[in-house]
Amino acid sequence: MPMRDRGGPLQGVRVLEITKVWAGPYAGKMLAHLGAEVIKVESMTNLDEMRAYGGVDIDSAPYFLSINQEILSVQVNMKTPEGLDLVKQMVAQSDIVIDNIRPGAMARSGLDYESLRKIRPDLIQCSIKMWGSDGPLGYQTGYAPCFAALSGLTALVGHEGETPRGMNIRYGDSTAGACAALACIAALHHRESTGEGQFIDLSAVETMTSLVGDSLFGWSVTGEVPHSDGNFHPEMCPHGAYPCAGVDWTSIAVANEAEWQGLCEVLDAGDLAADPRFATLAGRLANRHALDAALAGLTRAHDAAELAEKLRNAGVPAFKSMSSIDLATDTFLWAREAYRMVSDHRTGSRPIIGPSWRISPDPPRVERGAPLLGEDNQYVYRDILGLRQDEIDDLIARKVID
Amino acid sequence: MTAQTTAHPAGALAGLTVIETAERVSGEYTAKLLADLGATVIKIEAPGGAPTRRMGPFKAGESALFAYLNANKKSVVLDLANPGERALLDRLLARADALVDDHDEPWAETHALSPAVIAQAHPRLVHCIVTPFGQGAPPEWQTARPINVINAGGWAYHSPSETPNDKPPLKGAGRFLSDYEAGIDAALCVMASLLRQRRTGMGQFIDISEVEVQLNRIDCVLDRMIAGEADPSAARTAYDMGGPGTSFACKDGHVFLFMTTRGHWNALRGLMGDPAWAREFREDWLEFDCVPANVARFRQHFAAWIAGQDKLPITEAAQKAGVAMVPVNTAADLPRHEQFEHRGFFQQAGHPVFGPVAYPTACYRMSATPVRIASAAPALGADNREVEASDADA
Repeated sequence: MPMRDRGGPLQGVRVLEITKVWAGPYAGKMLAHLGAEVIKVESMTNLDEMRAYGGVDIDSAPYFLSINQEILSVQVNMKTPEGLDLVKQMVAQSDIVIDNIRPGAMARSGLDYESLRKIRPDLIQCSIKMWGSDGPLGYQTGYAPCFAALSGLTALVGHEGETPRGMNIRYGDSTAGACAALACIAALHHRESTGEGQFIDLSAVETMTSLVGDSLFGWSVTGEVPHSDGNFHPEMCPHGAYPCAGVDWTSIAVANEAEWQGLCEVLDAGDLAADPRFATLAGRLANRHALDAALAGLTRAHDAAELAEKLRNAGVPAFKSMSSIDLATDTFLWAREAYRMVSDHRTGSRPIIGPSWRISPDPPRVERGAPLLGEDNQYVYRDILGLRQDEIDDLIARKVID
Repeated sequence: MTAQTTAHPAGALAGLTVIETAERVSGEYTAKLLADLGATVIKIEAPGGAPTRRMGPFKAGESALFAYLNANKKSVVLDLANPGERALLDRLLARADALVDDHDEPWAETHALSPAVIAQAHPRLVHCIVTPFGQGAPPEWQTARPINVINAGGWAYHSPSETPNDKPPLKGAGRFLSDYEAGIDAALCVMASLLRQRRTGMGQFIDISEVEVQLNRIDCVLDRMIAGEADPSAARTAYDMGGPGTSFACKDGHVFLFMTTRGHWNALRGLMGDPAWAREFREDWLEFDCVPANVARFRQHFAAWIAGQDKLPITEAAQKAGVAMVPVNTAADLPRHEQFEHRGFFQQAGHPVFGPVAYPTACYRMSATPVRIASAAPALGADNREVEASDADA
């Protein structure tokens, strides 16, 4: 009895999320944007910080609105025994439970996997923690840039010869959420095959580690410890971002002779093309700092987007390094519906970052913006749990539903 | 963890067959995720082998990159330009559940592997194509390499945080970061659609844009800009959070410090022995006086202090004191790290040329269906005979 038919491959899958901030809600979003019915457990007594950032109305907080589209919101005070009992009733009606709250908090509330599988034997439960759910460091908590640093990823990102400062400080949470969604769907397949549910213990640190897996495997094979290396690529040269007019940059990746010749032609760089130091890939790699400096001298006068277009037309992979204003105003992205409109309680509609996928036929519809706090209380308590209106009113009066 | 606890429980995707015609890392990684979860992945390689077989690092002539990306897969060599061998691919597709590809549209048209052709010939098949900009993008855009994708998607321009205008945007960690990110979304969608296939018996086409994966990963920053709640700009710092958090050099490597609250600050002061310079800061400066001048002054003093510390003892003391300071671990730190060991993230498994190797596995420990490296990456065409024999039987 889903609330409404949204289509999509996960139609009919119900997910309960006990999540906050970014990684957990992002997992819920991924599943919702594939058609799952995702219910977020919320409470005034324990509000998702994302509803508060910016000091605005909790029902129109920009951070919250930017993540939680197509999510349903149910209010329940998990600090009361009755509230916890209601959550357990919701679990009994769900296929998947996702949480990213503090280590140990689910168990203290009796919401650990061993307890919940007694309520719902084929339950799939996924916990997202910095270091996973147990082990010698399982008690620790942290922020995305910390788990990127711990993971081995930060060590590989930095300008040559400098302290590795890693990816932008925002990197990490969303990818951990995406991997949680992935593992949950894998577990649904196992349930389809065997009837068995399972517990998924996700480490956000290891999410980042998995993104440098080939570098770590390479170390294991060759013994050479990889380090941060700017834009160096052992098999392409030139390979990097090159300065253009203003503060702009264009990325260029040259893998073969034809691309090298094409680059020199577009930049009118006959002297580089004729320079014996740069005649082969090996020569270009050995002299790459001189080459990069010479190229920077040539690219600097060009408009970044125009240069990239000329290079692409000459068969050289190139693209402008996009700033936030470039991205927000890009006509290609708007036309392709990389950004799309959803409903918004305040202004009628709101643009969001749409999913990276298009699926057809039977696409998942992403139309409804983030929920008001408790917007779906009636649906959850009346339609899913089967409570009468007077029972619901009583729970509200006693702040079990808050 | 209950009924079928055996030495090696079947993977979550046991019984599903995926054909991989990918020739870039994005598609190869998509299928790797599925193979590691237990799907049977048949990798179709052109005569001469997959491009990643020719990409380093090498040992004894073998590509470590290929070995990493293709463990748990089978290899079948087919010349898709040869009508007979193309017909064999069709027969494989007729018995498979999903097809993972990452070629551009002209290639798909030429090889009769376009979404329309596949939907017509194999309506039950889940068909996924991962491309840099998604279906319908200008053909010359689709030759973008990972460094172009991560620049097109905005992460390069904003990484590392606080990069000044005169330093280049960075490609991210390693060579393939945007490929791996796209592979996660692609594998997620393929598995979701395979669930639908179980219910309906019908396939779907899945179009993944690598650049849009990059955009989606920054939703709560970039979306506020497109919605008009924050100002988009040409600033390299547009994604940053402000504050003193960054990497610092210590005696034997680097640490990363993150601080946002009075509690963090007081804990750090205690850890440092409450030096005089620290007492010149307001106790609540991180919350209410976190201006660039203070951040710079803090970093100058802190950098001098942390430069004399060893990364493991000081970060351990920091954790206990409530300071979010962690070591910047390197590749060599991880396989012997107690938490990675506890979780079994690195699995020792054999390789015919490399011998026993530590394979990085998945970030999800699944109680009933643990990810396992069951077989090393295949030799070129290792499974041609088996596939051709079963084709003859069918």
